[in-house]
Amino acid sequence: MSMPNIYKTLGTSVLMAGMAFGSSVAMAADGPLRGNVRVVIGSTSTGGDTYQNSNIVVDALAEHLDLNMKVDAVGATAAFRALDRDARGNTLMIFHDQSYLGHLYGVEGYDNIFEKYTIGPTVAINPGNAYLVPKDSPYENLNQIIEAVGNGETVRVAIQPGGVSEIGFSALKNAISIEHPGMEDNLVAVNTGSQADKNQQLFDGQADLINGTVQANEQYTRLPEDDQKAMRFVWLTARNSTIQQAPEDGLGKTSREELLEFVEPNVNVTMGDENFTFDKEFFFLYNKDMDPAIVDQIDDALTEIYAEGDIQDVQKNSFFIPNFKPSDEAAEYLENKRAVYEDIITNIQ
Amino acid sequence: MEPGLTSLLSVSIDFETSHLFFPRIIHWLMGGLFALILVLRILPFLASVRRGERTLPILGESFDKFRFFGSLALMAVYFYLMAVVGDLFPYTGYGFLFVSMVFIFLMSLMYMHTRTKRKVMTAAINAIVAPSLAWFILAKLFQITLP
Amino acid sequence: MLDILSLLDITFFLLAALGALVGIIFGAIPGMTATMAVAVCLPLTYALGLHHGLALLLGLYVGGISGGMVPAVLLNIPGTPSSITTTFDGYPMAQKGEGERALRVCVVASVVGGLISAIVLFLFAPILAEFSIKFSYVEKFLIILLALTVIASMSSNMLVGIFSGVLGIWLSLIGTYSISDGGNGKTRLMFDFLEPYLFEGFSLLPVLIGIFGIATILLEAEKGVKSGLSGKTINIGKGGGFSFSLFKGRATNLVRSSFIGTFVGMLPGVGGSAASVLAYTQEKNLSRDSSEMGKGAPQGLIASESANNALTGGALIPLLSLGIPGDSTTAVLIGAFTLQGIQVGPLFIPENADTWYVMMTALVFANIVMFFLMFYAIKHIAKVVLVPKYILYPLIVMMCVVGAYAINYGIMFDVWTLLIFGVLGYLIQKVGLEVAPLIIGFILGSQAEVYFVKSLESFGTFAIFFTKSPIAMVLWGLIAASVAFSVVMGLKSRARRRGEES
Repeated sequence: MSMPNIYKTLGTSVLMAGMAFGSSVAMAADGPLRGNVRVVIGSTSTGGDTYQNSNIVVDALAEHLDLNMKVDAVGATAAFRALDRDARGNTLMIFHDQSYLGHLYGVEGYDNIFEKYTIGPTVAINPGNAYLVPKDSPYENLNQIIEAVGNGETVRVAIQPGGVSEIGFSALKNAISIEHPGMEDNLVAVNTGSQADKNQQLFDGQADLINGTVQANEQYTRLPEDDQKAMRFVWLTARNSTIQQAPEDGLGKTSREELLEFVEPNVNVTMGDENFTFDKEFFFLYNKDMDPAIVDQIDDALTEIYAEGDIQDVQKNSFFIPNFKPSDEAAEYLENKRAVYEDIITNIQ
Repeated sequence: MEPGLTSLLSVSIDFETSHLFFPRIIHWLMGGLFALILVLRILPFLASVRRGERTLPILGESFDKFRFFGSLALMAVYFYLMAVVGDLFPYTGYGFLFVSMVFIFLMSLMYMHTRTKRKVMTAAINAIVAPSLAWFILAKLFQITLP
Repeated sequence: MLDILSLLDITFFLLAALGALVGIIFGAIPGMTATMAVAVCLPLTYALGLHHGLALLLGLYVGGISGGMVPAVLLNIPGTPSSITTTFDGYPMAQKGEGERALRVCVVASVVGGLISAIVLFLFAPILAEFSIKFSYVEKFLIILLALTVIASMSSNMLVGIFSGVLGIWLSLIGTYSISDGGNGKTRLMFDFLEPYLFEGFSLLPVLIGIFGIATILLEAEKGVKSGLSGKTINIGKGGGFSFSLFKGRATNLVRSSFIGTFVGMLPGVGGSAASVLAYTQEKNLSRDSSEMGKGAPQGLIASESANNALTGGALIPLLSLGIPGDSTTAVLIGAFTLQGIQVGPLFIPENADTWYVMMTALVFANIVMFFLMFYAIKHIAKVVLVPKYILYPLIVMMCVVGAYAINYGIMFDVWTLLIFGVLGYLIQKVGLEVAPLIIGFILGSQAEVYFVKSLESFGTFAIFFTKSPIAMVLWGLIAASVAFSVVMGLKSRARRRGEES
């Protein structure tokens, strides 16, 4: 390389870096939220529901606020830690009920989010949390399972311990202890991991009932009965009103009408005076010391976005139920929700 | 199978402490193997060191202290400052960009044996172009979060 | 059928080719992986539509896995975790000045592996999916155990090698017994004050590039970074001394390794890196002339690279016929389908025949593009070793940093892991432990734990490992053969050394 050439290269690269630098600093920032914003989520999967839903919301927000926003799937503990460190509002978090259920179940790495963080708005529900049996299972429905356990039969349930996957199991156990006191220990948890592992437990005959999702298991429910892999829904934990809002076509080839057969009042899991339901809700979490003006700014922006009505279509297309509640409302609602599940978990211990 | 053998093979794992089950096995394996290595390899080796036939690793070898510890220190400072500078400009990748430039230049200088003007110039260009290119493609184009 | 042809326009093929090219670049940069390439391009697919998006992503997948061979051979740093076994023979060859030849062997092996697995995927996906669900925790544990037996046969001193392997397993257990694997989420093997950093343990990729990349640089620094060039000599000449005759008598190896790769890829939860390790073990055990393996034998490259490219087709089998990803890259690929509102599951292929044929076309085409791109670019790529070290090494450190930081979407501790394992890798080699067994232990350790503990939790007896199924017994047979083989080989080589000494 000759000397003039070197200076030319040098000059170009400095220019290039300078241009890139300039372009990303010159950003429209009218509100208190400024600079680049990173939204960390409590899941490490970029193929999962948390990532997908967060992307929908964050893209809409970024466009509305004219900011650079980016979703990073760092996982629960890393996400909480990133949030702890940044009170400027450049780090936000989106997660779901796992964030407090993890704490209720005493999983390491989960603190009380209602004390440690500011609860932001809820944005959507994944209505798909489900329980399935093999298609040739002797149990026709969830009620028969409750009865069978009450009569002393052992029923093994494959779940992932410590959160969203376990809460339905806990509620079922609680219901059995109410209807058939003392028999609840016949409902046994088979602690396992991913959806693949849970399915495998069913195929191996190591579980009689598994936790799953409408999204991941719907096709299995349409396999012929003689297929080892065939399954059948017995229970969706979502509220009836939640499923009512799903697209009429439902998911895959299972219509909304068919899905409604597996929620209350057709399937009842009692908590004593009322029935247990669980909607997996996604919401924002903020650093406790973050400027309250940012909380308001995001609330306002989301209010406008949801008022426009486009985001709902995108969410419904991906089988999410839009569910926007501004921060204050969301915090109160989620605290009540937690209190209910806390009772269930302490009841069965 | 005989009943004695069955009970010998049967095992019940308490879920609450199941995180320690496998590590315990590994500890025993490691301990056993280490004892074997100690007797079969390390003791004979130390004996030969004492007789002066061999030298201890690391301590007994000659090495380029400046470049070795320099590399270690430079990398540690690089990693540390990257996060610190990056925190001043949240999620822009500037921490990576600027600190990398300095780091690459310094490390190039350290590894050079003869510092001609031409070599230093190449190193300087490299130190500016490479991080800029990496930063531009990854942080800007692909929107990968960098420090 | 005409419908499908109308979906295959020029853009489709251009995107698949572009994907392969970008994938190769990602794979070839130490620290960047196929998974990362697919993850960063995932958002693009929303704009592209399903079929064009899939063409791009499958191109990236094939390219990314293949690109990993480049740094593995030239720099002794596995570009992706699954090219770990490529370093064993590739780097020694590069040091002998045969880098270009080694890379060409790798490229040919890769394309054969990729195409064989594509054919298997196309013809047998549903049947194989049926077969793969016969593998429960017990059988998966035995597969891992079989892969672990390579430690015994590849170490130069068996005792030290096994100890290194167990140490690797121990290192992999640090952190929580993850609830996402069904564990109880409790931490072990660390002090409380480390918990904020080590909660999830050490990540695989930073450990790999630390122990290979950073440690190599430290070892060089210790010697003063003397010679200006990283390769001693380069064999210049037609094809760098490569000819297809290198594959003479290697057809069995090629086909066997491709099938092993496809098969391991197909088992959900058995990581991709196990594929090349297992193929390497089997070549080492079954071939008549395996004594040169680990010192620069092309047959090692053939086994490793054909297996890791065969992963691609294999990992797509459970994805498309069970809705379950076979490796980390296909886990990201699921995102492409969910983004488009397409369900993957047991009915995916019958219900989305168009997409299925389109994917097969993209996969085969990407493999062919990868072959031509790499085979003819290698001449130039191999010249990396001509870059002076004072320029090259700082760049390697920088790219390792980017890779480590980005692999888990921005975690600073992963960057520190680089340094920790760089120093550890240096010390390990200094005190005479063996790096390769240690890293294999690390890769397979945490899976071994989950499958082992979960099997016992379900069945409550050690006997289950022997009595679970005919598959388990076959696996035990293979394990026994593998162990017996390595013992015999060990004794033989010791006898030979004795003979040479006297």
